[in-house]
Amino acid sequence: MFEKVLIANRGEIALRVIRACRELGIRTLAIYSEADVDSLHVQLADESICIGAPPSSESYLKIDRIMSAAEVGDVDAIHPGYGFLAENAHFAEVCESCNIHFIGPPARAMRAMGDKNLARQFARKAGVPVTPGSDGVVTEETEALKVAKKVGYPVMIKAVAGGGGRGMRVAHNDASFLPAFHAARMEADKAFGNSDVYIEKLIINPHHIEFQIVADKHGHVVHLGERDCSIQRRNQKVIEECPSPLMTDGLRKKMGHASVKLAQSVGYQNAGTMEFLVDNSGHFYFMEMNTRIQVEHTITEEVYGCDLVKEQIRIAAGERLSPHVARASPRLHAIQCRINAEDPAKNFQSSPGRIAFYYAPGGRGIRVDSHAYTGYVVPPYYDSLIAKLIAVGASRRSTIDRMRRALDEYYITGIKTTVGFHGAIMRSMEFREGKYDTGFVERLMNSDKFELIATPGRLHE
Amino acid sequence: MRKNDLSVFEMEKDGFRLKLQKGIEQPTLMVPAQTAPTVQNGPPNPGATHPVSAPAETSHLRDIVSPMVGTFYRAGSPDAPPFVDVGKEVTEETVVCIIEAMKVMNEIKAETKGVIAEVVAENGKPVQFGQVLYRVR
Repeated sequence: MFEKVLIANRGEIALRVIRACRELGIRTLAIYSEADVDSLHVQLADESICIGAPPSSESYLKIDRIMSAAEVGDVDAIHPGYGFLAENAHFAEVCESCNIHFIGPPARAMRAMGDKNLARQFARKAGVPVTPGSDGVVTEETEALKVAKKVGYPVMIKAVAGGGGRGMRVAHNDASFLPAFHAARMEADKAFGNSDVYIEKLIINPHHIEFQIVADKHGHVVHLGERDCSIQRRNQKVIEECPSPLMTDGLRKKMGHASVKLAQSVGYQNAGTMEFLVDNSGHFYFMEMNTRIQVEHTITEEVYGCDLVKEQIRIAAGERLSPHVARASPRLHAIQCRINAEDPAKNFQSSPGRIAFYYAPGGRGIRVDSHAYTGYVVPPYYDSLIAKLIAVGASRRSTIDRMRRALDEYYITGIKTTVGFHGAIMRSMEFREGKYDTGFVERLMNSDKFELIATPGRLHE
Repeated sequence: MRKNDLSVFEMEKDGFRLKLQKGIEQPTLMVPAQTAPTVQNGPPNPGATHPVSAPAETSHLRDIVSPMVGTFYRAGSPDAPPFVDVGKEVTEETVVCIIEAMKVMNEIKAETKGVIAEVVAENGKPVQFGQVLYRVR
C-alpha cells in the first residue's frame, strides 16, 4: 500500500481524496495555487506545496511543477481527481516514467476511450449500440452536410476532445448546420486545443444514464449499477440519482453487461463510467466513457455500500477488487444536488466571494462533501461547485423528502448559490413522479409555478 | 539575546508583534496582528509547509521569489562558492541560485537591481512557487 499520495486537484474532490487516504493511513501532499492557500484541502493535508499563480494553466495544469512537487515530497502515487489532468494520458505516462503510480486507468485505455470518436468505434466492435452518426471525425463541409442528411435532423456536432458540455452544437436543418459546424469547431479549438468534431443524431430529450465500472489490475471488471443524470442545465449535470427511476432489472442487466464488455475490450483498469442515452422506448445508445472518478460517484457509494476512492487507491496499489465491491448490490436510494456558487435569479452567473456564514445540513441520511466554511473565499478562477449534498433513504419518496428538508436548513450567505433552485426541483411534481428527462430544467424554469426557495429561519442573522 | 544565546526573539502584546532576529541589521517591527474572529481563514495547519519567512513590510526591501517548485541551492556545485551573499550587488541578469527540479538544474536570475539584504531560503531545502529566496535593498 502507498505511504504517501499527492493530490493533483483542489476543492471538494481534493478533500474527498485526502479523507480516503487518511482512513487508509496514507500521508497526503496537497498542491495548490496562490488562490487556494486558505483552502480546506491545503489545511488538512499533511504537507502542501504551492505550485503557481491562480489561473489553472499556471498551476493545476502545470505537469512539470506537479512532478517537481511529487519528487520533493517523495510520493508513491498521484490521484488526479476529476477535471484538470485526470484524463490526460500524457500526464499518466509522465507519472509512470517517474516511477510514481497514477491512480487511474493506464494511458492506453485513457487514449482509447478519451477520444469520443474512437470510443464509439470500440463500442461498435464490442457489439454495444451507439447513437447513429458519422463514422469518424468530419473535417470538411460537404462531407459533414452529407452525414447530417443521412443521419437525419436534428443532429449534434460534438468535439472529440470535449467535456463538460462544451464544444457541442445542435442543428435542426441544412440552413443552420454549417454555422453550427464551424462554431463547434472553433469552441472546441479554444477550449481543448483540438477542433476535431463528429456528428451524432440528436435524440430529443433523452435520459442520460451512466454505469459505474470498477476494474482491478488482475482482469476483474464489475459494474456498480447506474446513475440517472438527466437533470441538466446547458448540458451540465445538476442533480444525480441512483437507482434511475426508469430502470428495470432487465434493462440494468443489458446495460451493465454492455458496460463491462466494453471496459474489458479496451483493457480498462480502475474506476470509470460508461455514459448512455436512453430513449422513451428503452433503447440505449453508448455515448462516451469517462476515464476517471466522477463528481457523482458519491450516490453509487451510498446505494452500493462502498468507498470508490479507497477502491481506486487499492487497485492502483495492485490489490484485487474488494469482495464487498465485487459482490455489491443496491440497497438504498440516493440523490445528489450539486451546490454551485451561482445566482439562479441572474441566469446562473458566477457568484465568487467570501462566504459570510456557512452551516451545512445534517441528521439521518445526509452526506455533505464540501470544502466550504464560514469565511472561505470562493475564488473566481475555477469551477463553481462548492458542495455536494447527498440524501440517502430507503425509498425514492423518502429520499426526496429528506433532500427537501436538508436544503431547507442549508445556510450559505455572502454569496449566491443554487440551494434555492434545488429546493424548487425537489418540490416539482415532474421530479417527484420520476418522469423527467434532459428537457426538465428548461421546462421547470419556464413554468409559472417556478420559484426559488429561500432557506427559512433566522440562523444566519 | 546574546547572553542567553538566542537567535530569535518574538513578543506579542496589545495587538502588536515584535520579532528580533540575530544577523539582521535592524529589528523588524511587524504590522499589527489581526484582530479578526478566529474562523476568518479556516483552521491553521501547523504541519503545512508554507513559506516560513516574515512579510517584507519594510518598503525598501524587495523579494526575489521562486518561479518554480524544486530544491534550492546557493552554489553551482557543493564545493563552489555561493552565487551571492549579503552585501552583493545584483542586476536583473545576475544568477542568484540554482533550483533543481526533476534532475534539471535551473539557474534563477535576480530580475531586479540592488544589493542582497537577506538570504531567506535554506540551502538544499525544497522551495515552492512564490517562496521568498532573497531580499534585495
